[in-house]
Amino acid sequence: MKGPHGAVVSTASDPVVNDAREVPETGSIRGRLIRTTLVFGALAVVACLTAPLIGTTHISFARVFDRSIPFDDNVDAQIFFIARLPRVLAAALVGAALAAAGVVFQALLRNPLATPFTLGVSSGASLGAMLAITFASSLTLGPLSPVPLASLAGAGVAAFIVYSLARSTDRAISTSVLLLAGVTLNSFFSALIMFVQYIADFARVFSAFRWLMGDLDVGSFQPILASLPLVIVSFAIFARLPAALNLLSLGADSAAGRGVDVPRVQRLAFLSGSLATSAAVSLAGPIGFIGIVVPHLVRLMVGVDHRVVLPASALFGASFLVGCDLLARVVLAPVEIPVGVVTAMIGGPFFLWLLVRRG
Amino acid sequence: MLSASDVAFGYRGARRSGESFTLSGLTLDIREGSLTALLGPNGCGKTTLLKLLGGVLAPDPGTVTLRGRALATMTRLDIARAIATVPQETHPAFDYTCLEMVLMGRHPHLGVFTLEGPADIRIAREAMTATGTAQLAARQYMTLSGGEKQRVVIAAALAQSCEVLLLDEPTASLDLGFQLEIAALLQRLNRERGMTMVLATHDVNLAASLCDSVIMMKAGRILAHGPTRDVLTGPAVSRLYDIDADVAWHPRAGHLTITPLPRAPQ
Amino acid sequence: MATRSSRLTVATCAIAVALSVGDGRSAGPQDAGAAGAAAGSKGKPTQARPRPTASRIVSLVPAVTEMLFAIGAGPQVIAVSSFDTFPPEVRRLPRVGALIDPDTERILALRPDLVVTYGSQQDTQERFERAGIRIFAYRHGGLAAMLDTLRQVGAVTGRATAAADTAAQIEQRLNQVRDRVRGRPRPPTLLVFERSPQTLRGVYASGGTGFLNEMLEYAGGANVFADVKRESVQPSQEAILTRAPQAIIEIRASGLLSDADARRDHEVWNTLPSLPAVRQRRVYFLAGSPLVVPGPRVAQGVEMMARALHPDAFR
Repeated sequence: MKGPHGAVVSTASDPVVNDAREVPETGSIRGRLIRTTLVFGALAVVACLTAPLIGTTHISFARVFDRSIPFDDNVDAQIFFIARLPRVLAAALVGAALAAAGVVFQALLRNPLATPFTLGVSSGASLGAMLAITFASSLTLGPLSPVPLASLAGAGVAAFIVYSLARSTDRAISTSVLLLAGVTLNSFFSALIMFVQYIADFARVFSAFRWLMGDLDVGSFQPILASLPLVIVSFAIFARLPAALNLLSLGADSAAGRGVDVPRVQRLAFLSGSLATSAAVSLAGPIGFIGIVVPHLVRLMVGVDHRVVLPASALFGASFLVGCDLLARVVLAPVEIPVGVVTAMIGGPFFLWLLVRRG
Repeated sequence: MLSASDVAFGYRGARRSGESFTLSGLTLDIREGSLTALLGPNGCGKTTLLKLLGGVLAPDPGTVTLRGRALATMTRLDIARAIATVPQETHPAFDYTCLEMVLMGRHPHLGVFTLEGPADIRIAREAMTATGTAQLAARQYMTLSGGEKQRVVIAAALAQSCEVLLLDEPTASLDLGFQLEIAALLQRLNRERGMTMVLATHDVNLAASLCDSVIMMKAGRILAHGPTRDVLTGPAVSRLYDIDADVAWHPRAGHLTITPLPRAPQ
Repeated sequence: MATRSSRLTVATCAIAVALSVGDGRSAGPQDAGAAGAAAGSKGKPTQARPRPTASRIVSLVPAVTEMLFAIGAGPQVIAVSSFDTFPPEVRRLPRVGALIDPDTERILALRPDLVVTYGSQQDTQERFERAGIRIFAYRHGGLAAMLDTLRQVGAVTGRATAAADTAAQIEQRLNQVRDRVRGRPRPPTLLVFERSPQTLRGVYASGGTGFLNEMLEYAGGANVFADVKRESVQPSQEAILTRAPQAIIEIRASGLLSDADARRDHEVWNTLPSLPAVRQRRVYFLAGSPLVVPGPRVAQGVEMMARALHPDAFR
């Protein structure tokens, strides 16, 4: 068939064409990457700009930015800047972090069903939070609430344990050992969490329960800024990984044979994925399904090359969680559904559909 | 050109349980431009030796050198630019297209943030044409037949633009038609491009039909190493496989054929 | 306790309890062994048989423990729940668990003749009934239900008169508070009973029905969530901003008394400066078990709330 300039373009339906001439590649990776980033980036920006304007209470855009009204008196402005905008930004950050971590863990474990929570980081974070809520709620560490710090510490401990169990000094990490270690740790920490809730004071049980459902109502930019360094570091590492992740998903030996330093890439993938997950969970609690629904949806749209999937998932994850949070806020107004419930209600059926499709 | 000097290797588990090394005291040299078979029964250490030659595993002790340079002194990327390996099976965890699979072979020639350019795509397509898989470019790898998959993986190795190609049991799971196809392909590549190739295989007849040199291995040791005609003799094959075999020159085929003989009743 | 009639009683109770599983929570306590009626929550009397008054009582419910002591039945209490704190006498009593973790074995070993359980602890109730032990199933409700429970507790312990007197005293005191604040403007109030430490996330507030809401009404406040017909609400910060309460009361079982803690608590609410309650400095932190135990000291709790909302009424 003829392409531009009359050049013969080979397609899948053509018979074998021994044509080694340079052919303009319309689907070239560079073009796809730029296009994808622009589209998903625009979507994320639109989501972040419009979501704060929508909610159960009608606010007037003009009033929000009306500087003549002192901030302390301006309810619309307070709703926008204190209640909604931080919430939307937190959703974008958490959504991007969890979606990207999902992609990285799926590549690391060579399993499209892996999630950022598979390896126990989230249950470690949850345990930390439970302990803080139950035993240390009156503890103060400057302006910071003890709960996010404790959950970060818990995530770190979990990641350290899993990594130590799975690594061997020079050889590549066995993904099956990693998976088993993570699953075991998950069960163990979940049991500890149940135990802590069991012995907790009546009043604390409410808070503990609430935290586990996920909560983006941060109320100020401070918790977001506190999580930001971790997310930035993890994304800086993410940026170096996609090509190696492609190769890694063919197997450790194949990747090594093509020049990939497999143990190093695995370490970096595990570290960056755990960092991003820890930051997200300590900010907003464990919000499930983002790390698996978003990468899969993105792969359906852009193919499986990690160099496109990783940035696209981060951007789409941001929009996705902003959207889920919006639904959580308005669908049953004035009652608010925890955002983790919304992501589960979307994610569960989606997952079943995926399985049915594959089968 | 590619040689191993007094190379030994033991997998961690084997060493701890006190078993002897998987490989011990191997010394060999692969001549440039040759098509060498690593022949031996399953479990004799062929795959391990192939990995050592490819720099995927590090010998302990011993050295592997390429053109006199020890692999241990080369970076992984340097090695990958010189030696390409075709594993026995490739199971990608995600649904890559064939072109994407082949383009992954270009990785050693790209930087961390470099995306493949028109030149890389040209090389990939040439590799696919050479292996007769050009028409499969846009298809998902996992939907292909065994023979097609193997040819795509070989194309990926070709796209790596190396001077040495190592193949692990390239025809093991293929039926006869595909076996001949792959054998013909490898022979053509060896002749046309002068690629040095090492094939690990347990198929004696493949070694006989395709390769100009044979290294016989058994239980981690080298039994024989030399031109095919010299090495593949009846007694040698019998010793290797613990069977009776007859080695004969097949005039029509133009190469040796080995026929296993049933044991004489006691 | 092995007579045919008591077995029938137990069987009826068990069936009635089983039938009432899907009953939802009806306000008001239900005594599965009330004097004169061998019935479960469905109230089907089978045998009118006078029951002996309970003399060895185990209470898993702090509110009922307080009631027992208030009507003079304290000496009959032999064990209490892990969360009991009042009156001081309970400190020397053995602890036998609570809602989630009642220590059935320990309770049986103490050989009680009456066990006070939560209405939802149906397995536990069945277990004791099988052992032939009477159950008093407590169900949480509003103020009226609490007084009703008090009277039933009196009946079961043979102190009906003391119970009636105590109930009357409580009602009188409640009415006193209500009279004091009568006629004054009722500020729309947010009544918070739980939130995540040092933030305004995970706030639990009283809804338009239930015990806390009634306390607030008596104290002269109007619930900002009066239109939400639930006992508890989990408002987001946006919801709080929208409802714009003019007074905020946070109640806790025990308080942190240092100035630094008080300042920190106020700072948390200062992040929503447009709230009338914040601007008018009407954010109150009240601590004490009368606020969180729906029992006989409720009037004390109501008075604490009233003093916060209408200080001038108490000079």
